Amino acid sequence: MPANKHKVLIANRGEIATRIIRACCGLGLDFVSLATAGDLASGHVSLARELGGEKALYRIESYHDANEILSVADAAGATAVHPGYGFFAEDYRFARRTAARDRPLTFIGPSWWAIRDLGDKISTKRIARSLGVPTVPGSDRPVYDELEAEELARALFAFQDEQGVESGCVLVKASAGGGGMGIEEVWNMDRFRSVFRRVRNYAKRHFNDEGVLIEQRILDFNHLEVQIVSERGGRNHVHFGTRNCSIQSLGRQKRIEVAPGFVPGEIGYYFDAAGVLEAITRNSLAMAAEVGYDSVGTWEWIVTPKGEPFLMEVNTRIQVENGVSAAIARLRGEPGVDLVSEHIRLALGEPLGYSQQDLSFEGVGVEYRIVAEDPRERFAPWAGRIERFQWAERPWLTVHSHVPRDAAYDIPMDFDPNLALAIVWGENLAQAKERGKSFLNELVLEGAAAGGGEMRSNIGFLLEKNQNILEF
Amino acid sequence: MLNVKGLLEDIKASPYEEIVIAAPHTGVVEFAGIRPGDKVQGRSGTWKEKPGTVLAHLTREKNRKPLCAPEKGEVVEVHVELEGRFVEAGEPLAVIRHFLTRKEVIELILKKALSLFPAPEKAKYYFVPEIDQKLKVSGKRSVKLRDGMEVFIVSRMKRETVLPYTGPGGIIYSVYFHRGDNVDAGQPLIGVCPEDQLSLIQDVVTKVQSEWEEVE
Amino acid sequence: MDIDKRLRELAARLAYVNDVFGPKGGANHRLMNSRLGEFLDRRSAMDPDEQLRRLIQLEDLFAFLEKKLAAELTPMDLVRIVRHPQRVCLKDILENVYDNYTEIGGKDEFSIDPSMLIARAYFTRRVGERVVNQSVMVIGQEKGHGEEFRNGGSVKPWGNAKALHYMRVAETENIPVHSFVFTPGAYPIEDYPGAAQQIARNLYEMAALKVPVICVVSEGGSGGAEAVALADKRLMLSHGYYSVISPEGAAAIEAGLRLGQKAPPALADKCARLLKITAADNLRFGYVDRIVPEPALGARVQDYDFFKLLRGELIMATNEVVGAVKGMKLFRALAMRRGANREAFEVENIFMRWTLNAKARERLVLRRRRKYRAMSRKARLDGRSVLRRAWMAVQGAVWGINSFFRHDLLGKHRRRMQRVMEEIGAEAHLVRERVGRPVRSFLDRVSGRERLASDEARQRLTRLSRPEEGLCRPEGEWAYLSPKSREDRTVTCPNAETHGCRDLWAPDLYGEFAGVCDCCGHHFPMEYEWYLHNVFNYSPSREFNSEIESVNPLSYEGFGLKLEQAKKNSGRKSACVTFETEMQDVKAVVAVLTATFRGGTVGAAEGEKFILAAERAMSKRFPLIAYVHGTAGIRIHEGTHGVIQMPRCVMAVRRYIDAGGLYLVLYDTNSYAGPVASFLGCSPYQFAVRSSNIGFAGPGVILETTGLETPPHYQGAYQALARGHIHGVWDRREIGRNLYQALMTMGGRNLYYR
Repeated sequence: MPANKHKVLIANRGEIATRIIRACCGLGLDFVSLATAGDLASGHVSLARELGGEKALYRIESYHDANEILSVADAAGATAVHPGYGFFAEDYRFARRTAARDRPLTFIGPSWWAIRDLGDKISTKRIARSLGVPTVPGSDRPVYDELEAEELARALFAFQDEQGVESGCVLVKASAGGGGMGIEEVWNMDRFRSVFRRVRNYAKRHFNDEGVLIEQRILDFNHLEVQIVSERGGRNHVHFGTRNCSIQSLGRQKRIEVAPGFVPGEIGYYFDAAGVLEAITRNSLAMAAEVGYDSVGTWEWIVTPKGEPFLMEVNTRIQVENGVSAAIARLRGEPGVDLVSEHIRLALGEPLGYSQQDLSFEGVGVEYRIVAEDPRERFAPWAGRIERFQWAERPWLTVHSHVPRDAAYDIPMDFDPNLALAIVWGENLAQAKERGKSFLNELVLEGAAAGGGEMRSNIGFLLEKNQNILEF
Repeated sequence: MLNVKGLLEDIKASPYEEIVIAAPHTGVVEFAGIRPGDKVQGRSGTWKEKPGTVLAHLTREKNRKPLCAPEKGEVVEVHVELEGRFVEAGEPLAVIRHFLTRKEVIELILKKALSLFPAPEKAKYYFVPEIDQKLKVSGKRSVKLRDGMEVFIVSRMKRETVLPYTGPGGIIYSVYFHRGDNVDAGQPLIGVCPEDQLSLIQDVVTKVQSEWEEVE
Repeated sequence: MDIDKRLRELAARLAYVNDVFGPKGGANHRLMNSRLGEFLDRRSAMDPDEQLRRLIQLEDLFAFLEKKLAAELTPMDLVRIVRHPQRVCLKDILENVYDNYTEIGGKDEFSIDPSMLIARAYFTRRVGERVVNQSVMVIGQEKGHGEEFRNGGSVKPWGNAKALHYMRVAETENIPVHSFVFTPGAYPIEDYPGAAQQIARNLYEMAALKVPVICVVSEGGSGGAEAVALADKRLMLSHGYYSVISPEGAAAIEAGLRLGQKAPPALADKCARLLKITAADNLRFGYVDRIVPEPALGARVQDYDFFKLLRGELIMATNEVVGAVKGMKLFRALAMRRGANREAFEVENIFMRWTLNAKARERLVLRRRRKYRAMSRKARLDGRSVLRRAWMAVQGAVWGINSFFRHDLLGKHRRRMQRVMEEIGAEAHLVRERVGRPVRSFLDRVSGRERLASDEARQRLTRLSRPEEGLCRPEGEWAYLSPKSREDRTVTCPNAETHGCRDLWAPDLYGEFAGVCDCCGHHFPMEYEWYLHNVFNYSPSREFNSEIESVNPLSYEGFGLKLEQAKKNSGRKSACVTFETEMQDVKAVVAVLTATFRGGTVGAAEGEKFILAAERAMSKRFPLIAYVHGTAGIRIHEGTHGVIQMPRCVMAVRRYIDAGGLYLVLYDTNSYAGPVASFLGCSPYQFAVRSSNIGFAGPGVILETTGLETPPHYQGAYQALARGHIHGVWDRREIGRNLYQALMTMGGRNLYYR
């Protein structure tokens, strides 16, 4: 660590906050944690008090208010700010502000311009295309003109037809939209014009920009990721392998993540799976090097059943599922890699200290997200009190949770009801699946809603999906 | 039968409510020279466009913002020890004793007289659009409720469900929640007056009107 | 009993002197008072002859003293005279000046607006053996003699709308309009369609009204006066005033008073003097053509000689206007010239029909235009050298001729050819499709061209399109960044309480967000430079007439210094910036009113620059865009030099629009009063940047003059839109796109790109 010791403000809550607190302690850094009035029962609050004392926790009005975070940073004398994931993690304005304010702070994450350029789907697609990285067929610019849009859509239908896609589909998206807002599917050219106009009007109303993207809709794809790590200055890029995040809830929320992305040794694929993994890793690394990406980040890909990969987007932050990659990674043959620590260490300016040759991968890691939701009711979130939450410690198991295990916990209203992340490691997929199954079966999770309703969780869903991990 | 007189006596015994002025967000506090015993004003003007008496200023990120009295009243406590210090969100700064107005007393007593419909769970509540519209255009008391009628939208963890009203039929006389606020389970959402009791309720109102004297 | 009546009259005269002069009447007033008192005391002891003799003496004394007082009348005294309930009102004039009249649309309080009076009136004239009735349309404010329902002559928007309606009727019927200005100012409310908007509409219509308009000014209170005062001949009563603002109003501004406070009378007195509001001043400036003399202390109801004189003046003025455009008959022309040092009865002898034929009507409007164009030359400093001015005049003519050749002569031919070619092309296309398609598709199938096409399509769907456009980031990157975006601080949105907006970081807000709250869309004010560079592609080299400079034409005390300060701080010579520009390959002339220079007030220099911009746009056939960064109104320190810019600029705009141009106005921040009530408000295409305010008077002035409290956002852009004043509310970040859309879709036929 550099001579002048850093103090990290953790601008997040819940499970990631606890992981960052522990990582800071591990790195010998001071930290400050935040909480809102409604969130004081969260595990990160007690952990912050336990490891940092009363002074390590500040009450703020909202996690969403940058002014609150920065005002506390100044009052507490913090020198760096960790956004975790969600909230300000991919907000380039926040990153820019931390760097540009009169009392600058180190943003633990990439430089603000990297967040901006890779945070926008159009500019990401254009960077990718300019480097010859494969992207989803369709427009790479906001389309304003109706005739141009129709021509594109017609070409897309013809293209899919030629590719042997049975019933082609075109996506019309508001280019300024996000999070599934302002997206519609078109299955038939006759309906295109009306859908285009509707989306354009929607975009105009909600995002103040009429621009529309037109893309091929790819069905039945697998969702793969490449974990990229780099030091400040944007040199020395390494990858920490691939992940497969195809098991998701209805709202496209990831529920099981696996590293590596495919296991051609154990499962037969209709395409060259090893080749696909190699290609996406190579392309991701090349793109990171080209833009001078300078932190931990994830390149997200979709892979079609024919084994064609397309770059979807880049997540310029540490991700929830970083733990599975860490679980299979070996640095100079040793386990115990912690990407959360690496993220902080590198963002604060330390050199990487190793190269791709020093990294190897061993076994299979599976992460289960345990969430209070009801898979039978379209994954409706469940709020209530958790009475018991227990599991048996195992050498192959890591659980990250902010839910206290020694006291009852009321799930707060304003956040997603995530309870824990459980990461299981196995020598191979079969063993990992078996271990995961036994963990899920032994897990004790009891609670009740205020109105007396039964506790709901996704454990059953996880068990069911566990059977077919990595099959494609 | 409601004992209005008795209730009024009870309220008269402590005819005020104490409002804690807490820091709405973090920042450095400067009090505006208020002292216990000072009189303060709440919002005023034809359109409530004039803010109340400035109690303190809170400076956060080089933005100095006034903190105004929400209601008319008297300052009873000022945390002067915080002067010039950085405070966290929710830190109590001062306490104002607000003497109940006639309207507020009526609401208090009505809460006892009306049939209350409580929130079944902690959530944000809204009226369904048709009723919301009617309340906005024609005011409270324009909406007649029946048992089982769909009245509320419950918004919880970004999901919305419809909540039907259960209880005696009648008109909505009072609304106790604000759009977008979290309401705890068991807190009343609305007060309903069965139509045959309307005159009774009116009596209560007139009685309070005549018997309650507002403290200046 | 005659004596009693005459005594009552004397008492009334005494009271009048007291009203007008107050304590200043001093010794004269005391003398009149004591002599009248003495007479009344002793009257019973006197015989009738003695009484009569003494009475005549007394009357002579009164007349003498009144004359003495009249010699010392200050401008503020004139204001009091004009406002006195005994002053002649329009009804008195109708009764006594015209031979017969019928009031239209109103009887006393039974009128849509009793402060606006419309009447058909006529002069009965004897021409040889025949008796001829000469009709005119009389339009003017009616103050009455203190009746409350007359509202002191303060006309509501619908009153002015009525006036406009009957101006049009006069035009249809081809009879002259006699307008009378008896108003302290318009009633400043924004109800449909809003005071400013209605006055602007009136001015726009009068700018090209095809009948003679003769205007008589008694009390000319700023914008309210202009609503009926744009005339071919402007007469002014000798004791009237014509001013940009009431002296009290000026004093309140001068003293920097807050709501409800009264300025000290001495200050109002001083302002009345500084503002140069008298008939003599305005005659000297050239804003009125003649002064109609009144009796010593102003015309009152019983001054029959005055009415007779006014009658003569009215007939004479109408004759002059008509004569000038009709092709003058020799003898009557001579007579009229002689009549310039006239005797009223002589005027009556000159008869002239007041109807005009089509040619004469055109000439009338042309003459009116020239008359106003030539005004207020001395009230600005033209920094351009004589040579340069001459050159620019020539240039204007050259542009005009050039445009004519390019767009009218050759353009017409080219367009016709284009149309023919289009038709032929469409026919050919149809034939080709019908015949060619089956053949082509067969060929394609045979040669495998289909595959080739799909390769191309594939490329287009997967390769980078238009690499030269970079990353195509959606967020705007602005060419000009506000200096406010360089400060590390946060700003609270005014809607924070209602919309839950979080504090905004200044560099984000004033930089990337273009001053727009990202939560509720509230627009914070931005510098005009932001628009110049980010919307209008301003380049200093294409600015023109920057040498025309605001001055202090009334030598208003203390104003010269303030003006110097404004020039120094802004680096500009007036509040108006005019330049040519090109926006997405459409060329345009832009006139900007900058709020940073004396509040964006309009004086003689600004008016002239605006007119020159309109003329340039006309001769080059460019669209004309007025961007109002903010204007507080007419510059009061220039007095009527400022007010006269209202009709002047409207005439220029009207001419430009009639020539087939596109005149578009964009309001920002706060735009009030005179300019809105004239050359801005008359545009058929007015838009406002969100969160701006547009209106006639600010909330303070409204409360002061009407006693009405206005709700928050009373003058907000959306309110103005709801009232029909403006025609759209624009988001700042989209102005460029909207403007281009407007340039493409709006305006007349005579734009160079049509």
